[in-house]
Amino acid sequence: MTVFKTFLQVLNKYKATVIMYTVMLVAFCGLNFQTSESNINFTASKPDVLIINEGEEIGITKAFIDYLDERTNVKDIKNDEESINDALFYRDVNYIVYIKPNFRDSILDNSSNPSEQFEKYISSVDRTIIEIKTTGDYQASIADMLVKKYLNLVDIYSRTYEDEDEIIKHINETLSLEVDTELTSKVDTNTLSRVTFYYNFLSYSVLAGCVYVICLILSSFKNKEINKRTIISSMDYKKFNMKLLLSNCLFAGILWLVYVALEFVLVGSVPNGYLIIYLTNSFIFTICSVTIAFLISNLINNKNAINGIVNVVALGSSFLCGAFVPMEWLPDFALTIAHILPSYWYIKTNELLKGVEVFNSVSLEPIIINMLILIVFIIVFVILTNIVTKLKLKK
Amino acid sequence: MFLHNLKYSLKTLFKNRMLIFWTYAFPLILGTFFYLAFSNIENSEKFDVIDIAIVNNEQFNDNMVLKESFNVLGDEESDEQLFNIKYVDLEEAIKLLENDEVSGYLVVDESPKVVVKTSGTSETILKYVTEEIIQNENVLANIIEEKLNTNIIDGNINEYIENIRDDALKMLDMNSLEIRDITSKKLSYTMIEFYTLIAMTALYGGIIGMTAINQNLANMSDNGKRIAVSPTNKIKIIFSSLVSSFIIQVIGLFILFMYTIFVLKVDYGNNLLLIILLALFGSLAGLSLGMAVGTILKTNENVKIGIIISFTMLGSFLSGMMGITMKYIIDTNIPLVNKLNPVNMITDGLYSLYYYNTYNRVYFNVVSLLIFSLIMIVLSGLALRRQKYDSI
Amino acid sequence: MKPILSVENLTKKYKNFIAVDDLSFNVNKGEILGLLGPNGSGKSTTINCILSLLNFESGKITIFNKEMQPNAYDIKKDIGVVFQEVAVFEELTVFDNIDYFCGLYIKDKTLRKKYIEDAIKLVGLEEFKKFYPKQLSGGLLRRLNIACGIAHKPKLIFLDEPTVAVDPQSRNNILDGIKKLRDNGATIIYTTHYMEEVEILCDRVIIIDKGKIIASGTNDELKELSKIEEKVTVEIDNLDDKVLDEIKQFKNVDEATYNSGILFITYKKGKNNLSSLIDYLKKADIHYDKIYSERPTLNDVFLYLTGKELRD
Repeated sequence: MTVFKTFLQVLNKYKATVIMYTVMLVAFCGLNFQTSESNINFTASKPDVLIINEGEEIGITKAFIDYLDERTNVKDIKNDEESINDALFYRDVNYIVYIKPNFRDSILDNSSNPSEQFEKYISSVDRTIIEIKTTGDYQASIADMLVKKYLNLVDIYSRTYEDEDEIIKHINETLSLEVDTELTSKVDTNTLSRVTFYYNFLSYSVLAGCVYVICLILSSFKNKEINKRTIISSMDYKKFNMKLLLSNCLFAGILWLVYVALEFVLVGSVPNGYLIIYLTNSFIFTICSVTIAFLISNLINNKNAINGIVNVVALGSSFLCGAFVPMEWLPDFALTIAHILPSYWYIKTNELLKGVEVFNSVSLEPIIINMLILIVFIIVFVILTNIVTKLKLKK
Repeated sequence: MFLHNLKYSLKTLFKNRMLIFWTYAFPLILGTFFYLAFSNIENSEKFDVIDIAIVNNEQFNDNMVLKESFNVLGDEESDEQLFNIKYVDLEEAIKLLENDEVSGYLVVDESPKVVVKTSGTSETILKYVTEEIIQNENVLANIIEEKLNTNIIDGNINEYIENIRDDALKMLDMNSLEIRDITSKKLSYTMIEFYTLIAMTALYGGIIGMTAINQNLANMSDNGKRIAVSPTNKIKIIFSSLVSSFIIQVIGLFILFMYTIFVLKVDYGNNLLLIILLALFGSLAGLSLGMAVGTILKTNENVKIGIIISFTMLGSFLSGMMGITMKYIIDTNIPLVNKLNPVNMITDGLYSLYYYNTYNRVYFNVVSLLIFSLIMIVLSGLALRRQKYDSI
Repeated sequence: MKPILSVENLTKKYKNFIAVDDLSFNVNKGEILGLLGPNGSGKSTTINCILSLLNFESGKITIFNKEMQPNAYDIKKDIGVVFQEVAVFEELTVFDNIDYFCGLYIKDKTLRKKYIEDAIKLVGLEEFKKFYPKQLSGGLLRRLNIACGIAHKPKLIFLDEPTVAVDPQSRNNILDGIKKLRDNGATIIYTTHYMEEVEILCDRVIIIDKGKIIASGTNDELKELSKIEEKVTVEIDNLDDKVLDEIKQFKNVDEATYNSGILFITYKKGKNNLSSLIDYLKKADIHYDKIYSERPTLNDVFLYLTGKELRD
């Protein structure tokens, strides 16, 4: 009981740091999931678009805005240039459309006579009716495609028909032609990707929290431990070590439980099959973090160095293995290095899980292999810890 | 006295391995992680060719418009290439989709149909492109009909329709309404990561200042007691220690700049001098933070280091170190937090230097940093005014 | 002659705990004054108050005939302090450590160098000049601690338990060094809870308990206070209570106790006691093993005055 009591005392002393890692997890994941609709039917990706209409919202201009409103996610951002530019930089919007004041007039003025057009073209009148800003990514390409398509239609119909209403009517008629789209997967990818996102970030909080707390606790016990060794028999010493290990596992287990509970609050639940794998995977990873912590605390004697080690190990694993940045965006050489880190296999399982439709031997095999690799890591860390302890005793 | 203390203060600080790790080595290690994690991110976000499959059946081959259009869009020689197309049979197409080798496939029965696995961006593009081809057909039909209605036909009707069709196709290609792209060319948000790194390094300097001051104060360290009983002015000694801390901080920043510029090839642009200037103001804020933690809080040095590290890490997190979205979310939803966050003052200043051509926002951040430093210095000053202590 | 240091009615409280209680004493030029007391008796607090490190409730401190203040630099330049805790920079060598602290007093570099060499010689660290504190043993570290405090050749030196946890060889070296400092003209205030050191070293002793002076004077003066002049210890296997009662009736005997084979007798006067005891034991045919006689120590004085041992 004394071991456990001292354990709690030491833990209490360093609780602020553990809370900080948890706050980071909650803040990062809580704030990143603002929308929460699930999707089982095909829904076209809607890029985030900002429309700045510098003219009047009537006629063809209104039709254009309605068109974008239907097919994109029109954002509402404070109308000052700085907020707009910030929004673009931070990818809050992928695409900004500035509808110039001459938009409607230029369209209605469009002539079907090619020579007239040519004259306009060379008369260097500013014919820009739309200005855009784009982030140049996939989402922006969709917006770009939509805008260009509409302008094409407007262009061609305004040269064919005179009347504004007729132009709009024909445009809408053309746009109403759609292609059937069939979705083969019935998995709710939206929720799954958010859960995966959460569990990926969790690897940072768990690893940092475990290594930090356990290293500090073990180093606090080290002095007392040496005293005890001389006072009490070897049998008791082993018992003492066991109790210490149990206390640390208990701490890690509670940390894991809290984080799992937080997931339900922040993200919501997933079907049972997925849930079991997410839980198993994160639990194995938590145990793995405990063994890493034991190894580190055996390697490092200096209490002052712990903070540095925690940051390097936890941040390094997280950046290299895709806890913060999605794995598919990492360069190959980073991923190659990441293979030697447990976080890689943990996150890989989460990512795989996102794409699983049915649980069968084919879809489960890579997941189970990843978990086995994690377990191998655990065994290796335990063995290394023992070797290190033995080498130290010899000295 | 000033120089005597400066010399030894530098000597002791430089030999303090823990300090040197946090202020010199850690930023370099973290910078390397950033480099590894982010060097590819913006390229992978850029629009790329999409892999698709088309079921090569009779219906598809009969539909000349679809066939031609996709032929153009899949042309590897062309700059306009949008798709990487595999022409296969239905069975193969299903298999390719199942194995994620294609984003989706097109199959033409009575009408064209797009089959995809998930609702993603590439899938949406495939759908929209197919739609556009069908819609263009509709446009042609409309134009031909209109022309037939308004013009009197002379000569061969088929030849006439053919002419209108050619004209209309030309019209589809020639857009007389212009779009102008006015995007700033500087949209690389990886830069933010390196800015948070500079900001973090600047604030970590607080650890140096704190350690240096701790050695000077009788209520914080035993060495401080020796100084307190010696015939020297405490403020002079402290000032000299702060100067030596600042020197060490600046050297740390210098190493970081050298490493990021020459090894990690980060391009800081034309404003390097201003960036360095801002980093120096940031270091001042870090120094004064360390000074305040050193003089006001009465606990052991390790706890103080822990406080400065936690404060800095949390500040870095809020200003976008672990993902820039965080900074934007805080900036737009709880702006006060980041207005008070010294890490963000530095990051935001550097960001606005990079992204904007005006300097207002930079000045605002510089002034914020100065105010932050001033508050910290005043608070420390109040604690330092005490000559005797109630307990030591 | 006016005293070098005078403390008048010094009182210091930590919240409700009175650490120093109305303390007054003087230190004369050229003497070694010992402040003796158990741990926690208020010795270090007294010194810290004298040095203006601590606030105190009341009292007046005069050093070199001037009132002591935190910014009384003309007083401070002639004071040297060796604190109880080893206060040196881990990151600096032995030489650099002394140079740093000495440099706070002596600006002239050549003079300082000579002073440092003197200090190193005094504490016997000649071979360790380039060593870092981590490489030094506990005793050598204490010597460095002393060297840092006295290198600037102060006129008044405070030594606060400079020999705590030190091996005998280093302790002798330290005590010799302190004597040399006195011989060179310094006045020394020495706090300790080792009475042996005080007996060897100090010209005058002040015994402190619970923040109060309970006795002061030279060693001999203090010992008289205990009212005992001799202590005799005899190892006897079996002793009847009757015999013990007879011994108690002997001439000069203050007290006699018998506990687990040890007979312990204290005498008020120190003459012919041992021989008459031996005679008695022979006559009574009581077999005894070892027998020895001692003079009383300061511990006996402390025991007599407070009813408890100096060392807990």
